[in-house]
Amino acid sequence: MDEEMIYQFQMKRSVLVVDDEEINQQILGGILEDHYEVMYASDGEEALSVIEEQGPLLSLVLLDLMMPKMDGFEVMKRMQQDVVLRGIPVIVLTSEEQLEIESLRQGAADFIKKPYDVPEKIIARVKRIIALFEDRSIIQSTEKDELTGLYEKGYFYEYAMLQDRFNPGEEKDAVVLNISHFHLFNEIYGMDEGDKVLKVLASALEKYALRFGGIAGRSDADWFMVYVPRQKNYEELYEEVEEALNKEFSSHHIRIRIGVYVVAKDEEKLVPCFEKAKTACNSIREKYHKKVAIFDDKLREKQVYSERLIHDIRDAIKDKQLKVYFQSKYDVTKETPEIISAEALVRWIHPEFGMVSPGDFITLFEENGLIQIVDEFVWKEAARRVRKWQDEYKVTIPVSVNVSRIDLHDPEIKNKLIRIVNEARINPTDLHLEITESAYEEDTNRMVEVVKSLKDAGFVIEMDDFGSGYSSLNMITTIPFDILKLDMSLIRDIHRDERSRKMLEIVMDIAKFLKVNVVAEGVEEKEQLDILKSLEAQIIQGYYFSKPVSPEEFEALIKR
Amino acid sequence: MLSVEALEEYGANTKEAIARCANKEDLYLKLVKRIPTDKGFDRLKDALDAGDLDEAFEAAHGLKGIVANLSLTPLLTPISDITEKTRAKEEADYGPLLNEMFLQRDKLSILCDD
Repeated sequence: MDEEMIYQFQMKRSVLVVDDEEINQQILGGILEDHYEVMYASDGEEALSVIEEQGPLLSLVLLDLMMPKMDGFEVMKRMQQDVVLRGIPVIVLTSEEQLEIESLRQGAADFIKKPYDVPEKIIARVKRIIALFEDRSIIQSTEKDELTGLYEKGYFYEYAMLQDRFNPGEEKDAVVLNISHFHLFNEIYGMDEGDKVLKVLASALEKYALRFGGIAGRSDADWFMVYVPRQKNYEELYEEVEEALNKEFSSHHIRIRIGVYVVAKDEEKLVPCFEKAKTACNSIREKYHKKVAIFDDKLREKQVYSERLIHDIRDAIKDKQLKVYFQSKYDVTKETPEIISAEALVRWIHPEFGMVSPGDFITLFEENGLIQIVDEFVWKEAARRVRKWQDEYKVTIPVSVNVSRIDLHDPEIKNKLIRIVNEARINPTDLHLEITESAYEEDTNRMVEVVKSLKDAGFVIEMDDFGSGYSSLNMITTIPFDILKLDMSLIRDIHRDERSRKMLEIVMDIAKFLKVNVVAEGVEEKEQLDILKSLEAQIIQGYYFSKPVSPEEFEALIKR
Repeated sequence: MLSVEALEEYGANTKEAIARCANKEDLYLKLVKRIPTDKGFDRLKDALDAGDLDEAFEAAHGLKGIVANLSLTPLLTPISDITEKTRAKEEADYGPLLNEMFLQRDKLSILCDD
């Protein structure tokens, strides 16, 4: 039974009386036995062996100082060296007042003077110390992150605010640290190795924080926080962490990034400070030469802009500021290429900012979940258009829509999509779902399951952005999809660079092996098209044929 | 048979000591009976005879602890003196204090044997 259960069920606690004089043991035992399970030891060595055997089941040690074999100070010293035993409180039994300070230094929680005081006082002291330490133990077990031993997020902020209260006027920085592409590290080397990395990193951070009188915490996964008195720069922190990681994992090439927010004197809340540090940290996500980023005016402006977009998006949908554009995809296996399908792409014409780039809001909305309302708007609009074209032009042109990682976590996603195609009176096969490869990075099994259920419901699954990031060959054999959509980065240089062309050939071979169709995105030049055709690519999307256009312009293309 | 009254007469603060023993009179009397045969007395004498003041201090200190807890004042007085002198490593004549200690111990022993 663990400590917490004993506490909860008000079980009789165990206390150990350590005294070389049996008479003293019995007097104390006589006082305590009605309230506690009393154990006895007659010297330090015997005491230590009982303490080690009982561990955290022991609620208190009442310890004489002068004893044969091993004295009380040595017992306390040994207990302090053990991470579990140091949590057991010790009350020193002494007639020597001058030893009280030394006992406190060695870790004693309290004293009982010899000759003993009246039993009521002794019981009261014992009860108080046990209660204090049990409360402390419960707090400690929740305030620290189990894996790394750093403060959990909530406690981290509490202690950081305490620091501010006790050191008013001290200039502080909110520092955030993250490991780049940590999910890939876990995938390649396994979770156990990943956990080891987190532990080493946490330990280096804690050392750094303590040295400067700050504190360190773990926010979540591979996000860490440090709150420290202002430093000239954070290169030193970077180097210390990097050195610790290199020492243990020299062959793994772990890249860390640091984001810093300089906390203003009148700043009242810390959470937004760390969010800004995180924004800074994210701003160098793809800038591999940058180690540390400070939240500056440029980022501040960007954040204000982002906050405005977050605030405005619902009205934007209501006021029809969001437009769905269509970029056609051409079947190039025919002598004259024909429109075979299209991709729906969202555009935001903001009354104040004009055309807002999707790059500005898609990632932003993915972070806070707002992407779901944008995606759903696009899905409905795309389905409506497919139906309209069927009615007006008697053609079925399937439209592909983006489905983000966030959407896949929605347990209602399948029902939502089915409802949309039913309401528009189109077939699920007329709505292609583009799911980016990176959506499967976290919680792979569950994502695969969700996508499989969508495929089973009749939707055509396209794997989007293939080749843009760290593509995993293992992953593409696991994920159920119908069409492989090559990212434009794979196409860009195929007509200029032999290696790019070779790479494309390999990817085309993989697609053939998997028996899936390929859509090549970002085709702008005829030479690119010719190479793709020679490699038997079937479907082409890109400015060479058409840029994304308004529904009206797209209809003109259909008519043609 | 050893009684609280007899110990009162001897000079012990029985009220204080019994309270210390959680008001368990039986326990108090049982513990007092063990004092006369405690090995600490001989250990203290041997150490002083040998001039080993550290060992003497430890023995005196131990005795003082138990005797004080049982509030055996007549015995406590010489033992406390010896404890303080040996703590200070005084090269004194401990004979009179030892005699007083043994005298009080023997008195107590007679009470216990009655």
